[in-house]
Amino acid sequence: MKKISFFDVFKVFLKIGIILLGGGYVIIPIMKSELIEKRNWLNEDELCDYYCVSQCLPGIIAANMSILVGYKLAKIKGALAAIIGMSFSPFVSIVIIAHLLNKILAIPFIESLFWGVNLSVIVLIYLALKEMWSKSIVDLFSAFWFVFILILAILKVNPAYLIIGSIFLGVIFQIVKDKRGNNA
Amino acid sequence: MHSTYFLLFFEFLKVGLFTYGGGYASLPFLYLMADTYNWFSHEQLVQLIAISGITPGPIGLNMATFAGYQTLGLLGAFISSFGLILPMIIITSQVFRLYRKFSENKYVKSILYVLRPTSCALITSVGAKLFYNLILNSKLDFSKVDYLGFALVVFLFLLTFKLKRDPIIYMAIAGIFGVCVYFLK
Repeated sequence: MKKISFFDVFKVFLKIGIILLGGGYVIIPIMKSELIEKRNWLNEDELCDYYCVSQCLPGIIAANMSILVGYKLAKIKGALAAIIGMSFSPFVSIVIIAHLLNKILAIPFIESLFWGVNLSVIVLIYLALKEMWSKSIVDLFSAFWFVFILILAILKVNPAYLIIGSIFLGVIFQIVKDKRGNNA
Repeated sequence: MHSTYFLLFFEFLKVGLFTYGGGYASLPFLYLMADTYNWFSHEQLVQLIAISGITPGPIGLNMATFAGYQTLGLLGAFISSFGLILPMIIITSQVFRLYRKFSENKYVKSILYVLRPTSCALITSVGAKLFYNLILNSKLDFSKVDYLGFALVVFLFLLTFKLKRDPIIYMAIAGIFGVCVYFLK
């Protein structure tokens, strides 16, 4: 395979950024068609691995996947090309919308439109949760932990503490498990 | 002024570092930001969620750009997006080199076992908050309930049994419903 340059990676991810409508998980079918079927830069297994790893990493899943693919194609240069390319059109479109927001809000029916779209977000959150639920709430402890964190979140505890606390607890669980394994 | 740039960068760096589980998981951080600084209001945050859904790109990134622009214009948008992305560039490209080992690592697995219900709970809290703000109009008073809005949510919820999970469909239907309500009033 011929060497892939910064600009090659940038161009493809610029396109991915433009067609990436409506949230993170649409990136899988898009990457499949752009990177596997059209260019043969990846194989299915790699895409699947990248998706799994991206879910374990902090940040945005689609952005992490772009960085992984970019890194695979052209090391750190590729990772930068991918993330800049992917972010470009969302950045520009949001800046334009934010700039025109007051004019947009002045259109008479726009408030009603937002009213509807905002309400749909409640259902979108439900859909995102449904997707995560079976992988997340797997036993009695995780169900208990879910309720516990939910109460803390509603009481407005800083979410960063909740994340850090969870990471610590995860490490402690593994240490305890290892100790028990050694004693047995 | 300079300190605001720094704060904006630092706050979104935190979002980039502590968000697990997609765009909606970053919302609790943005709510906290709205409470802590006068960069944007809760109302603007809700508008921002709607806008992010109908423009290209990951929701988390759109939110960073929008919040940055609202606060400090173009440079602000750039700084908050950069803050959000920076931890990902550093961590993710390091992880690439050992990625098979990483996802098989027992500590990573154990951390995720605890972290997954946490991010479910954080996202649920945002859903509950939106329900409280939008349908109950931030009051526990049954005369103030937005029944039309509640009906729309129930309708969309019933549609989830029929339609695919593609978010844009639900936003489009809800938007059209909103416009119809306007013209029928």
